[in-house]
Amino acid sequence: MTREDVTVENTLLEVRHLTVAAGLGRSAPQVLTDINFSLAPSSIMGVIGGSGAGKSVLAKAIVNWLESPLTVTKGEVLFEGHDILTMSDRQTRLLRGKAIAYVGGNPGGALDPTMTVGAQIVEKLRSVESGVSFAEARKRVVDLLDAVRIPSSAQRFHEYPFQYSGGMMQRAMIVDALISNPRLIVADSITQPLDVTVGAQILKLLHELKNEFSTAILFVSNSLPTVADVADQVIVLEDGRIVEQQPTSRLISSPQSAQTCQLIAELPTLWEHDTRSRLKPASDDARPIMSVRNVSRHYVLPSSSVLGFGPKRILQAVRNVDFDIYEGENFGIVGESGCGKSTLTRLLTALEPPDTGQITFEGEDILGRGRAGTRAFRRRMQLVLQDPYNSLPPRNSIGSIIAEPLVIHGLAFGKELRARVLDVMSEVGLAADLYEELPMVLTAGQRQRVNVGRALILEPRLMLMDETLSALGQTEQGQLLDLFEKLQAQHGLTYLYISHDIAMVRRVCARVAVMYLGEVVELADNETLFFQPGHPYSRALLSAAPTLETRRYRAEDCLLDGEPPSPINLPTGCAFASRCPHAFDRCRIESPRLQTRFGLNQAACHLLDIKATVKDEVSV
Amino acid sequence: MPNTMEVIGPDAKEARARTIAQRIALGAWRSIEFRIGLFVFTTMVLLSIFWPMVSAIDPMKINIGAKLTPPVLFGENWTWTHPLGTDQLGRDMLMRCFVGLRYSLFIGLATVMIMLAVGCLVGLWAGYRGGLTDTILMRITDAQLSIPMIILAIAILGVSRPTIPAIILVLGLSGWPVYARVMRSVVMAERKREFVRGATILGASDLRIMFLLLLPLCLPPIAFVAVLDVARMIIFESVLGFLGLGVQPPTPTFGNIIADGRKYLVNAWWIATVPGIFLFLTLASLNLMGAALERSRNRVYGGKA
Repeated sequence: MTREDVTVENTLLEVRHLTVAAGLGRSAPQVLTDINFSLAPSSIMGVIGGSGAGKSVLAKAIVNWLESPLTVTKGEVLFEGHDILTMSDRQTRLLRGKAIAYVGGNPGGALDPTMTVGAQIVEKLRSVESGVSFAEARKRVVDLLDAVRIPSSAQRFHEYPFQYSGGMMQRAMIVDALISNPRLIVADSITQPLDVTVGAQILKLLHELKNEFSTAILFVSNSLPTVADVADQVIVLEDGRIVEQQPTSRLISSPQSAQTCQLIAELPTLWEHDTRSRLKPASDDARPIMSVRNVSRHYVLPSSSVLGFGPKRILQAVRNVDFDIYEGENFGIVGESGCGKSTLTRLLTALEPPDTGQITFEGEDILGRGRAGTRAFRRRMQLVLQDPYNSLPPRNSIGSIIAEPLVIHGLAFGKELRARVLDVMSEVGLAADLYEELPMVLTAGQRQRVNVGRALILEPRLMLMDETLSALGQTEQGQLLDLFEKLQAQHGLTYLYISHDIAMVRRVCARVAVMYLGEVVELADNETLFFQPGHPYSRALLSAAPTLETRRYRAEDCLLDGEPPSPINLPTGCAFASRCPHAFDRCRIESPRLQTRFGLNQAACHLLDIKATVKDEVSV
Repeated sequence: MPNTMEVIGPDAKEARARTIAQRIALGAWRSIEFRIGLFVFTTMVLLSIFWPMVSAIDPMKINIGAKLTPPVLFGENWTWTHPLGTDQLGRDMLMRCFVGLRYSLFIGLATVMIMLAVGCLVGLWAGYRGGLTDTILMRITDAQLSIPMIILAIAILGVSRPTIPAIILVLGLSGWPVYARVMRSVVMAERKREFVRGATILGASDLRIMFLLLLPLCLPPIAFVAVLDVARMIIFESVLGFLGLGVQPPTPTFGNIIADGRKYLVNAWWIATVPGIFLFLTLASLNLMGAALERSRNRVYGGKA
């Protein structure tokens, strides 16, 4: 079938020979080159590619939204037979609101913070469809908010964007896109900023929308498993060219291009038994290097009522966390945003004292010996930060950044200082001629190497990796993990990984603590967590992790809709009860405590008391 | 973030051995504006320091017979003895301008340094500590800001003698709140960044973070504004002089020379104009250097050098 045979009736969108360049003239670099594809109603087309492949430019070109210096130099984008690129501004504006909708990956930036969410969606509806009364528009918006499962939508209609969570904002953006019943939705990286369990719900929602409203969706993403989850057809972009276009199932089973093969090969696997040494839990006689005993931390927020009267609101960020980290092991803490990971990081690094409980490092309380003691502790334990762009002082040279810890602790001066910095730089794989460079010239991966280097130069015993790899691409992650492994072997380091990325935890952590709303709900070694999870939330997390493999746990069985409840003024009972498909009466009354399952494995769930149920769950 | 590694060409390779500060200085030195500015400024400063010492002419010596002599090549009766003419009391303008430059520049620079030091310290402390410290310091700033400069000057200089240190103190005291405000807001934004948390965890003390991490980051943009304030302070000094609260005659400063010369503007335009030209040259050269440094700094921190 050639392109010309495709009749207008069953093609909603057709892109022909689309070429986009950055700037005018012959020498301008091409961002997109000769893109051809067509999209039928009620189908989902996935677009995937690495960073810089031109995905977002393609998404924007289709809604004729390119900003200078990007210009379309050739080709056409036919929407129902009309070329969008040659339409007048008035026509495109109408089309964009009514027939085509665009949802971006930054919902916080797309919503107007000064208007209630409902009001801005109503405003949009009434501007594209004249003659809709306010009451009618309101009803339609509330109905749609219901349809995307925003809880108590009639009330949420009157709330401002800042009162919404990230997942809810993204859903509000989808409502905003859907309200005018568009025939095409362009979704650009919409699940990227979301937690996996929330992202999985959004994907489910897209599927339903496609079937219910026969909307066509162009789904742009950089995660192959996510695209494979939703799309019928997938386009693989590389350097602005389509290198492959196939139905999803065939793309994965028999990829044609080298790029696709590489994308698939780089994906971490969750369900293969992996018996590398670093995954082995420390032996029983190992000494704990850090012990966290019943640590809690809460924050008192000002009351929400006028003038601050009324009951104070209490945010319980970390509740009764208790675990040991043994020397030489890789310990992981996983959980979604808002589960208390960041607070726990602050407690573990002695930036804040816990309200109750105690954290000991090599047998001594980290806050017990005053300022000098804390300083000494900070030499022995180092934190590697998450954000490669914000975590390095922008005006200092790389050499001086890495030297800083030695200067702070007065450990080396002059020539010796420089020599030690160069040593560490070569150890973490940074060229020596970067010494006098600014961090600006580095890639994200190199920046994280600088971060690792400056932590390593103090020769710590324990390194705390706070989402260290989450900003990096798949390839760079792999390289850094190899580096970490090498350093561990050389220096006898203990690593504590804090992450939301299940696949990474599967790859590197020997033992894992799963956190939910400030509590550790499960503490298990790698194999046990992945193959015999003891807590329903662990299973839900595993079910939502994007992967191409056949899933062990189906998302439909593991997770109810909704998001974690607010950590402010928590209800009694198990915190997960509101989302747990197995919740029963006792869960809503009594909070379960961590109980030992076997070996060092622990989980906090009432289901474990019912032996028969446990057997059932394990056999699922 | 584009990979800028390839932007660094082979010709830049040799510069890699230099520290960042050296690269900024070198970049500024390469620009012609910086050299002109530096040349003019150093010449003026050196002349104003050494010429009065070397020369036999006394800037305060009155010679009524030679009063209102025009500069060389202008009008009648000009002489090479007074290349820039004389004022209404027959004093040599060239000498008076050099001595005036000495005092004016000293007042301007010292005042700005006081303003900058006090303002930045208060702003840094308030912004970094936040909470109660911030509230107290900022209310003091507000209180200071609510007193008009002229009233403060009349109050202090009217009671005590208007000596040069007293003038510097008055001008400095009335100028610092603006710097405190700006510094505080910049520090508040920067201290929440990840690298500050990183430094804390590395074991850095608060003082180290404030003075070695935050100050170098926040100070340069403010310092460039401060260079412009040198001119403003020199003019303020002349305003005080106009009220009779400035540097007292016979000591010449640009302020009181211009204020005196104003009365003779029609007959003897040079009395007010010549110090004006000196003022212009000094400040223009200062600004040329400042701007060249700023451009070079932006180039280095922007990854282009």
